Amino acid sequence: MRPPSSLKQEFLKKWIMGLQRCSTVKKNMSILERKKAIKLSADVAMASARNGKTCWSRAIIANASKHGSDKHLVEKILGPESERLIAKKVSTGALCNNRIRSKKILKRSWGIRRTRKCAPQVALASFIAKWLVRKRTKVLKSLIPGGEFMNEVCLIEETLDYIISLRAQVDVMRTLASTSEIVNHN
Amino acid sequence: MNTASPKMLQCSDMTVLERQNACLKWQQEQLQQQQQQEQQSYFSELSGVFSSQVQGFQGGLVSGDSVLGDMVMTRQVKPDPGLETAWHEMEKVDMAAMGFGPCGYSNGPDFDMNYAISRTSSCPTFVAAAVAAQAVEVKGKESIVSEKMGSTVGRGSFKKRKVDTLQNSKVVAEDDSKRIKACAEEGESKITGPNTNKSSSSNNKNKKETSTGTSKENSKVSDVQKPDYIHVRARRGQATDSHSLAERVRREKISERMKYLQDLVPGCNKITGKAGMLDEIINYVQSLQRQVEFLSMKLAAVNPRPDFNIDNLFAKDVFPSCATNFPAVGMSSEMANNPPYVQFNPVEQVVSSCGLEMGINSLDMALRRTISAPVSIPYASFLDSSCFTQIQPSATWDVELQNLYNVAFDQEGSMPFPSQPFTGTLLEKQNWGPELI
Repeated sequence: MRPPSSLKQEFLKKWIMGLQRCSTVKKNMSILERKKAIKLSADVAMASARNGKTCWSRAIIANASKHGSDKHLVEKILGPESERLIAKKVSTGALCNNRIRSKKILKRSWGIRRTRKCAPQVALASFIAKWLVRKRTKVLKSLIPGGEFMNEVCLIEETLDYIISLRAQVDVMRTLASTSEIVNHN
Repeated sequence: MNTASPKMLQCSDMTVLERQNACLKWQQEQLQQQQQQEQQSYFSELSGVFSSQVQGFQGGLVSGDSVLGDMVMTRQVKPDPGLETAWHEMEKVDMAAMGFGPCGYSNGPDFDMNYAISRTSSCPTFVAAAVAAQAVEVKGKESIVSEKMGSTVGRGSFKKRKVDTLQNSKVVAEDDSKRIKACAEEGESKITGPNTNKSSSSNNKNKKETSTGTSKENSKVSDVQKPDYIHVRARRGQATDSHSLAERVRREKISERMKYLQDLVPGCNKITGKAGMLDEIINYVQSLQRQVEFLSMKLAAVNPRPDFNIDNLFAKDVFPSCATNFPAVGMSSEMANNPPYVQFNPVEQVVSSCGLEMGINSLDMALRRTISAPVSIPYASFLDSSCFTQIQPSATWDVELQNLYNVAFDQEGSMPFPSQPFTGTLLEKQNWGPELI
């Protein structure tokens, strides 16, 4: 794995690129627009730092590319690879939907079979535990970008990667914010 | 569960031990997963025990043994074929170390819950005394149970206390067993929890006993390690059909990754169990995402334009002097049209060059190439003149960025940049400490 500092450097560079693009496109943005632009550039920069290896990064890029205005930002940040990455996500997205549908059907049939087999004195505790796990997995899937399409194993892997990236992102943003504050005070 | 135990008792195989030695680590991981299941399965068994036959009872207790992580290892008991007889032998063994032994077990109805319940109590030694005190009383099981519960756990709903004490005893049992040295070749190692104990055989036997949750057939699949397939051994007492095997592999993968997550997410070390850890993970991800939102809002508020850092990092007095330099430098057409943004040029060139060669050095070189005219800067006194005559106009930006790179990024790479003293001052100005990774 790359050292975290190089990840941050890359993120910072791409983020700056994206921000420049934003500012050249539109001037006099309101604070909310600025915030959105900042966050979007940061997210896309973070995602592009992964080079399309992880699912969540591809999901972020795909979501950003959906809207025309943001697409250019994405392309600018990603550079020459943008076409490849966006295309990749589109193709996997369709496949994923089919896969998910078939999985859901399968799960439902298994569930029915199982409930019939189970003895009535199955411990309540295990049922509650499983239900809790299932519920929380659902919540996690909603948190991770592109998480609805993953099975459990992938979900946990993606979560790991996502957490690392988020941490790097937060650190860079925080240092930048503090720096800006200092410079502004001077 | 009741049907499984006689089979387990009858089929013992020392060679299983040897074969299973190879899969030690894998099984250890599985243990953690199974612990949760064991708790539940034990729970169900105990409730079933009240009304079951002796044999079922004993079977349930066998698994109960394992679940509670008895110090069976010290029992010096022979392996399975002798399981039932061994229990008799165990009566003579000194129980003090373990705190309980199946002495009450061997026959029948009077045996029982006393034992299971005593096992669920927190302290083994305490239980030993309790067991000894109440030895072989033929009472109604319920009354014994209630007594035991009262004495060890306190009144309250049986089931509820059961789960708590189970967990308590598990924890205590784990601690105790960690202290005891693993006797790898003991037949009836029924130790559960302590994955830190390195006796593969004990873990293996444990697996055998704790397999009550899964479907029951004895199976020994030889283990062949090949890179293209995932060969999974079905452990004793577990099903061989592909569904269960695949599910087991999947479960182990998940548990392995949960372990990594445990290291990553702060505060997850004490939590075992999927649901709790998932909760922590969710909270952490949510908090990180919220931080990103907040920081982007802060950045937007602090700076009048999105490309704030460039603006702000150039000191105001630097700007006018920079303007004259840029025509000398190759400017991108986009920048040429926007005089207010002209200071971005070095940044862009720097950034693009950095795309090729990562590292601060390239930043340095690019800056020196692009900027030529010296300009007085507030921080000039800190800078080495030989290096800086060329890059002074952007020194502020450079220094700021250097700062970021230096301070936040763990001083990566070579920093010939002589702004170290400046960095020092900035460091003093603001406490970077907690923000550094």
